[in-house]
Amino acid sequence: MIKPQSWSSREEALLLVNAYVDGELDAAATVEVERRMNADATLRAEYERLLGLRKTIASRVMKDKASDALRARIAAIAEPAGSTNVRPLPVRRAPRHFEWQQMAAAALIACFLGSGATYLALQQSGSAGDVAAIIADHQRSLLAATPVDVVSTDRHTVKPWFDAKLALSPHIIDLTSSGFPLYGGRVEVLGGQAVPVLVYKHRAHLISVVAVPKPGGSDDGGFALATTRDGYVVRSWRGRDFTYYAIADLPPEDLDSFVAAWRKQAAAE
Amino acid sequence: MRLGNIGQLGERDTMDEQQLFREIVLPYLDDALSLARWLTGNISDAEDVVQEASIRAFRAIGSVRQNNPRGWLLVIVRNTAFTWLAKNRPKAVVVTDDERIFEQASLEMTDRADASTPEAVVIAQADADQLQRAIAALPMAFREVLVLREIEGMSYREIADIVDVPVGTVMSRLARARSQLIQRISIGEGGKAGAA
Repeated sequence: MIKPQSWSSREEALLLVNAYVDGELDAAATVEVERRMNADATLRAEYERLLGLRKTIASRVMKDKASDALRARIAAIAEPAGSTNVRPLPVRRAPRHFEWQQMAAAALIACFLGSGATYLALQQSGSAGDVAAIIADHQRSLLAATPVDVVSTDRHTVKPWFDAKLALSPHIIDLTSSGFPLYGGRVEVLGGQAVPVLVYKHRAHLISVVAVPKPGGSDDGGFALATTRDGYVVRSWRGRDFTYYAIADLPPEDLDSFVAAWRKQAAAE
Repeated sequence: MRLGNIGQLGERDTMDEQQLFREIVLPYLDDALSLARWLTGNISDAEDVVQEASIRAFRAIGSVRQNNPRGWLLVIVRNTAFTWLAKNRPKAVVVTDDERIFEQASLEMTDRADASTPEAVVIAQADADQLQRAIAALPMAFREVLVLREIEGMSYREIADIVDVPVGTVMSRLARARSQLIQRISIGEGGKAGAA
């Protein structure tokens, strides 16, 4: 609550009349302002004007109403990635070397959490769900005002950013000379796990490279996955300690040359 | 999403965060949109800002102030709007750290003491368009405080938290915003209203 310190200036009197109109004065100050207004016609007139303005704004200026479309877009932000494709909630693929007890424990936890979809997703390979989630993440990033959380063409800025955010250090490859400058990085949630995403630029297109941690992996030269869905080209390959997914709305041959350049550079470093 | 804590980011957290987002962000979308619209000046830019702010809010949902979720959301909306304006309309934002520019703007009372002058009548009769134009014409620092007070109905304390200035500065800007509005409506539009 605001108390009058002095009535030394007209300006201060005006501030307090404003606070009076806003109901922000304590009892003592309220009495004081009222006393002053009774004795001072100019102040009283000012009060009337302020009151008139408040009432006019309250009755004529309406709050904006969010459209149903906007409401749906915002609600979708919290939806599990990939659910727009009406697929089961994707869950991180269970590593193949899981013991059956661990599998059983994971399944039990999934049941305990009450999510039938989670359980089902655990049963399947997971890759279809992952791809749907990765495409949805990429699409969402294109809809957002900025597709990255950290903007930098310098991998030495992006790498420590991921280190600090996720305690993860994905391989960040500089491909500027191949025509794919680094644009920045962001974090996405894939099957409940926060994973780093690198964003590269190629002409007017953006390429998202999702790095899913997979300890002990190494590049075997082949593609774990090569597919096209909803106009997006997806390539997946294994790298050191990560499985990578590259996605873009580029011609497949362009994304292939990006991936080839990436792997060549990664092998050289 | 709580970042930097990957070990604890399990299924349970994700579900809680979705629930929190639904309870904290969705009910205040109209508030968020209104603030964004007054800051950016039009509804489609405001929708972009609200969407971006919601994504930020979801990512930071773990830091929500449970006692004032609306204030928490509006801080994000406001900051997102300023980032957006700086990027898309750098000339529209007068970024000033110099409080004096605003705080020393004249705040004067009119000499006329008669509250029933046409002036007071004009203010009461101002139509929605006139008001919209007059509010939109206010300097950003005044406009945001006025909108938070009159349209979002926030207290001085809440406004001070959102704009990140002392309560005294909120009072000062609000008084100046209103003084300018009254002048604009009664002088700028006086002829029109007087003829009616």
